[in-house]
Amino acid sequence: MKKVTYFPGCSAHGTSEEFDQTVKMVMKTLDVEMEEIPDWNCCGATSAHTMNESLAYALPLRNLVLAEKLSNDTMTVPCASCYQRMKFTKIHMDENPELARKINTAVVGEGQYQGRVAVKSMLQYCYEDVGIEAIKTKVTSPISGMKIACYYGCLLTRPKAITQFDSPEYPMSMDRIVEALGAKAMPFDFKTECCGASFSISDTDVVLQLSGKILEMAKESGAHAIVVACPLCQSNLDMRQPDIEKKFKVRYDLPIFYLTQLMAMAFGYPKDKMMFSKHIVPVDGALAHIGEVIEEPKKPAKGKKAVKAESEVE
Amino acid sequence: MARVGVFVCFCGANIADFVDVPTVVEEAKKIREVKFAVDYKYMCSDPGQQMIRDAIVQYRLTSIVVAACSPRMHEKTFRKALSDAGMNPYLLEVANIREHSSWVHQKDKKAATDKAGDLVRMAVAKSIANEQLHEISVPVTKRALVIGGGIAGIQAALDIADARIPVTLVERSPSIGGRMAQLDETFPTLDCSQCILTPKMVDVASHPFIELIPYSEVIELDGYVGNYKAKIRKKASYVNFKSCTGCGACWQKCPVKVPNEYNMGIDTRKAIYTPFPQAVPNKPVIDAKHCTMLLKGKCGICAKFCEKGAIDFKMTDEVIEREIGAVVVATGYDLWDATPYEEYGVGRYKDIINSLEFERMVSANGPTGGLPVRPSDGKVPKTVVFIKCVGSRDKAKGIEFCSKICCMYTAKHAILLHHKVHDSRAYIFYMDIRAAGKGYEEFVNRAQVETGAVYLRGRVSKIYQKGEKLMVRGEDGQLGQEVEVEADLVVLATAIIPDKENPALARLLGISYDKYGYLSEAHPKLRPVETAKAGIFLAGCTQAPKDIPETVAQASACAAKVCGLFAGDTIKKDPMVSTVNKDFCSGCQNCVKVCPYQAIVTEDIPLGHGAKEMRTVAKINEGVCQGCGSCVAICRSMAINLAGFTDPQIINEIVAI
Repeated sequence: MKKVTYFPGCSAHGTSEEFDQTVKMVMKTLDVEMEEIPDWNCCGATSAHTMNESLAYALPLRNLVLAEKLSNDTMTVPCASCYQRMKFTKIHMDENPELARKINTAVVGEGQYQGRVAVKSMLQYCYEDVGIEAIKTKVTSPISGMKIACYYGCLLTRPKAITQFDSPEYPMSMDRIVEALGAKAMPFDFKTECCGASFSISDTDVVLQLSGKILEMAKESGAHAIVVACPLCQSNLDMRQPDIEKKFKVRYDLPIFYLTQLMAMAFGYPKDKMMFSKHIVPVDGALAHIGEVIEEPKKPAKGKKAVKAESEVE
Repeated sequence: MARVGVFVCFCGANIADFVDVPTVVEEAKKIREVKFAVDYKYMCSDPGQQMIRDAIVQYRLTSIVVAACSPRMHEKTFRKALSDAGMNPYLLEVANIREHSSWVHQKDKKAATDKAGDLVRMAVAKSIANEQLHEISVPVTKRALVIGGGIAGIQAALDIADARIPVTLVERSPSIGGRMAQLDETFPTLDCSQCILTPKMVDVASHPFIELIPYSEVIELDGYVGNYKAKIRKKASYVNFKSCTGCGACWQKCPVKVPNEYNMGIDTRKAIYTPFPQAVPNKPVIDAKHCTMLLKGKCGICAKFCEKGAIDFKMTDEVIEREIGAVVVATGYDLWDATPYEEYGVGRYKDIINSLEFERMVSANGPTGGLPVRPSDGKVPKTVVFIKCVGSRDKAKGIEFCSKICCMYTAKHAILLHHKVHDSRAYIFYMDIRAAGKGYEEFVNRAQVETGAVYLRGRVSKIYQKGEKLMVRGEDGQLGQEVEVEADLVVLATAIIPDKENPALARLLGISYDKYGYLSEAHPKLRPVETAKAGIFLAGCTQAPKDIPETVAQASACAAKVCGLFAGDTIKKDPMVSTVNKDFCSGCQNCVKVCPYQAIVTEDIPLGHGAKEMRTVAKINEGVCQGCGSCVAICRSMAINLAGFTDPQIINEIVAI
């Protein structure tokens, strides 16, 4: 039984409750015990780091210091934004002990930062620490037949210097996990494109355009659904979808799943535990594909052979 | 009594801005042995040198100190000034007050001036102990070795051989021709590459003064300028070139298909092959990595069909030796692998190709008969996007430098595309158009006006597939907006990198290379074809990216250098070499171990006058010795002396500060 420190972040206790719940179910099946940081605080994402650098460091640092009081050597974070702030702070504190000492004075009541605990996103933890093979062994009801477009968003793998995980432009870790669950991960070029989350409230039109493009390309790839590992990605693509459809006069019908929801399904948890009722876009259409047989298109005479054929004629 | 002259240079503003030159002169005058001291704006110029020559005569000087730039720059210049005035040139000492003082202490003029004064005092003290030395003459082997048979190597070999100097040309692949043989037409005149190159290739093969050794590699180089010994490994070709007529029966019948390097893997060749029909020599070799007979002992079809019985599966690699006097290195370039550009989908989309692949497609002898096609479906593209600076000028993902030739060949590709597919259109994303060269700007204009190529100033941020098209999203910096082009084919002008074997070759030859793997010239401006090692020269892209005219010019410059080196029967060498005082030598041979040039051997001499017993002492080959001083430092019995850096000279310098 592995043990890992858990930082849920504010959205896990609010808009992305279904993420939080399914993370806990999945981890239980994967024999990982999660220990939530007692008295954790806001990571400061989206506001602190645009206003005050010291505050942007101090908020995550308190969580990191609290995490060091637990005996686990890894902390896992489901939300991409929280993860980004935690990892950013950790790297800067580790690289610059002078800065770490300075920032530490703000949270000195909690203890001294040592840099002992590794920070990983939930995706990274599943991919690196649990591993594809271990995930495969737990699959009891594969979700084969579903075609999935994996959307990583901008923060899970970028910038590379901070995340130090997977490719910043064309990551594949989520695709591999989805394939391990039995589904087919579709080639999807927009997996790291911006969804416009920062403008969600202030300039919604930008979001409609950017997220609309992501939905369009996902549909074009042939996917039945999009899978994400970030509450902001989920809410933007899911909640704004009806507006996008209305604005561009299209119909996508692409449910936006959390990766852990699909994992939990493949691990045999009943559907009613997934809290699908919290989704805006209904999921049933996509789930109906489970069990279908995906026919691989016959490989046409393509590529270098085609070139050669032409040259032989000449 | 020594009479020293001190000459302090302003070096324009280089020294004078940060060192108070007149003060340095006044300080020098305070030294007892200094009989004359003066400053001048440019000491290396003719009036400056004349001041030295005049002072030598007028003040009957016995040694000279020039306080100026690094001795690497102008020591030779000033030595010559001494000779011209009838003085032994090795009575000169250079105090480097530029690189060692003014340039590195720009924030503190007082300290820089003090340090310059110290450097002059040291040089004066050393020069007092200087001895008259005389250049060493070493014999020359008048044969040049050219490594690499691309256009650079071909041109260098031909020019040297035309001066009736024998040349050995070693080429790694089965044929000479190099990258230029892969090109279709060449900028800025659009003359056919094959038509101007293949006659030169034939000239190489038939030249009485050129020994062409294809399918071979240099594996060892010993010796020193004028007297090198090279070991060359001739790879087993499994074909007896003497009896082979090049009829082609073997490669027609060979059943093994291998990606064709000459066509950038677009089509296949056989396991027994010549790289291309115009190859020189036009004899096939067997690719041992793919031949089933050599791998598994089954097949041998080529041998059955060879009427001359030229196939010999038992052939092995052979090592031959050549004695040579000079080396020209011309190992050429490679294209950078664009895989790190993941946002372009390099490797995921078949219809993204690099510029050499495009070049092969539009080439008349290429795999598609001269027509560009989409690798995915064989269709002829109507909209082609060219992206420049992929990997070049990109510190984050690629390489910092500009690859220099991509602006021009991309303009050429736009024109060639238009020539081959009349109703096509080229879109070119660029950072800057660098078209400096005779007829170059006009050529780029021609691409824009004649073919209607659309030049978009901006970077491409993403390429994605939509149906059959590749959507190229980038910035049009001049309109200040995002653009998307629906492309049938995307051609990447990827960065030019040196041959990956360059670092290993540089170590083998004993020359230096930069962080990218380009071989380093001796001086970026004034010695661009020499290396720091005497007798080894550089031609073409092995030194830096360059186009064909520049490569040919540099190759001819190498030839001139080689011919100059071979102009006499001997060559002169600096006398700063070590000698052993046999009386003091204890025979420990530590010097033999530390010598990086293998210049020290041992000899047996009688123990005393008329004694029969022998003892072993060190002996230094002054032709090989480079005067590094390692042996002097390691010698426990102080038996070794380095001319020009003797103990009295060094001690004088130390005492002076």
